[in-house]
Amino acid sequence: MKLKGENQKMEEKVLEILEEHCEEALDYDGDSMMEDGVIDSFTVINVVSDLEEEFDIEIDAKYVIAENFKNKEAIIAFVRRLMEE
Amino acid sequence: MQFLSGSFMILWMIAFALYYLVPPKMQWYVLLAAGIIFYVAGTGGIPAALLLTAISTYGCGLFLRNNLEKQKEAVLACEGKEEKKRLKETFAGKRKRMQILYFIVNLGLLLFYKYSVLTLPFLQKIPGISTDFVKNVVMPLGISFYTLTAMGYVIDVGRENCEAEGSFLKVLLFLSWFPAITQGPFNRFRALGEQFLQKHEFDYDRLLRSIQRFVWGAFKKLVIADRIGIFVDRVFESEASSVPGSIFVCAVVLYMLQLYADFSGYIDMAMGVSESFDIALPENFKRPYFARTVADFWRRWHITLGTWFKDYVMFSFVMSGSGRKLGKAFKKKWNGMGRHVVPIIGTMLVWFFTGAWHGRTLNYMLWGVYYGIIMSVSLVLESFYPIWKQKLHIREGKGYALFCMVRTWGIVFVADILIRSESLAQAGAVFRAVFTRLEAEALLSKRITSYGLSKYDFLLLLLAFTVWLAVSVWEEKGKDVRAYLAGRPAILRWSWYYGVVLLLLITGIYGGSYDTAAFLYQSF
Repeated sequence: MKLKGENQKMEEKVLEILEEHCEEALDYDGDSMMEDGVIDSFTVINVVSDLEEEFDIEIDAKYVIAENFKNKEAIIAFVRRLMEE
Repeated sequence: MQFLSGSFMILWMIAFALYYLVPPKMQWYVLLAAGIIFYVAGTGGIPAALLLTAISTYGCGLFLRNNLEKQKEAVLACEGKEEKKRLKETFAGKRKRMQILYFIVNLGLLLFYKYSVLTLPFLQKIPGISTDFVKNVVMPLGISFYTLTAMGYVIDVGRENCEAEGSFLKVLLFLSWFPAITQGPFNRFRALGEQFLQKHEFDYDRLLRSIQRFVWGAFKKLVIADRIGIFVDRVFESEASSVPGSIFVCAVVLYMLQLYADFSGYIDMAMGVSESFDIALPENFKRPYFARTVADFWRRWHITLGTWFKDYVMFSFVMSGSGRKLGKAFKKKWNGMGRHVVPIIGTMLVWFFTGAWHGRTLNYMLWGVYYGIIMSVSLVLESFYPIWKQKLHIREGKGYALFCMVRTWGIVFVADILIRSESLAQAGAVFRAVFTRLEAEALLSKRITSYGLSKYDFLLLLLAFTVWLAVSVWEEKGKDVRAYLAGRPAILRWSWYYGVVLLLLITGIYGGSYDTAAFLYQSF
């Protein structure tokens, strides 16, 4: 129950960060946000920086690939993965 | 060996026939053999530099793979968080050292060949170095392209974003994939490597589509780019003080289109050839002149180079130890504007390297710095745009979109003066002519036809631009022109195909024996 609540909180925080830097990302329902120009490299850098600060994680360049940024769900999934590691 | 040559057509046809005749497991050997023939015929010798890059790439990939496997085993076998962390750092250190060595060797090769022209006068003075040796230093075909492709592979293996290939010949095939080796697009092993190993069956529709793409590329190259080239070359070969500013404006605008037609024409041909073997390449252009910002322009122009620099230079720097430290130090400064410091340094780095990659003159360095500054300024000002728009009562309609497009063309126009001019002095003279003595009437006088193109050529260009624009508008709307053609009745379809080929033969620009001019990006 507690874990579910924490997960929900994490998701909300990720969406909040996305909303601050790139509102379009919240409405995007495709699967190539970077290639479609919804999220550019500067936005990715800002999002990564805020995610690192918020969740006390280190996001290496190897995670910053189109697959992990293909849509908001993919970002949430990879943040969750990093937090579990 | 040029795409538009008889020898290439023969090679393509033989490779194509063999490819679909041999058993599926042998298909990639046909591609490798075709690639080697293409390369050796193009350079006239043993591709020593390419082989050295392929061997080092293969070896480095295997080293990284073994290191990562050993690390996993060691970490599994050990207990304690600190000990695991220490082990990971030890293995990562070894990987890093190997990658640095690899980069030194391969970047060294690239720099040696790319900048050999600049070092020749010094090399000649060294005792023991013969004049023949110096004369024979010829830049290996496609070195600027395959070196970055190879480096990307090694970085990806180190990042565990792709598996290291265990076969040397497959690595060689990946680096020497002949449709892409001379001018790209840049490929990633994860996408291309797997395709080589799949079973590919002959498909008539695919063959037709690949020929359509090839012919469309040839149209852009022969009818548009090479025709414009005659005018632009004549204008830039003339004494700058004798050319009216308006003629320079015309020449630079045409050069913008020439570069696009030439490079995207090559890419269309490369993609057509690759598609005929059922190997998909990544798109390298998405109608860049429809871009509303410079950043958008570079997301549409030479896309695979942009993503290469973004993934392997920009993100590597920003997410490195020093990048992070700088980021933390500046993030909260200047009302939050400090967060732009690291991306700006990354941008300037990327653009400096992009300039150096494109050419070895000061003009190219300046060209890179120019784009770096524009991108950085846009980044800082971006947050103010909504406020300014509101204050100036700007509404985002078609008019505003057109204004943004024209603004982008203006920025590219200035950049292209830099790279088309032979020297900074010439670029300065062109700018002076454009801004101080425009003499617009020269465009309507006989003067315009004194630079190699007749009235007929200009009319033909206008017609070709109209066709090109119509196709581009269609594609921008998400429509597939080739699919549309495929759906037409056979008589209409084939009349169109024959018409385009006839147009190519009649109006294309050919030299002696139907040779074509070299591609512009080949010199990069």
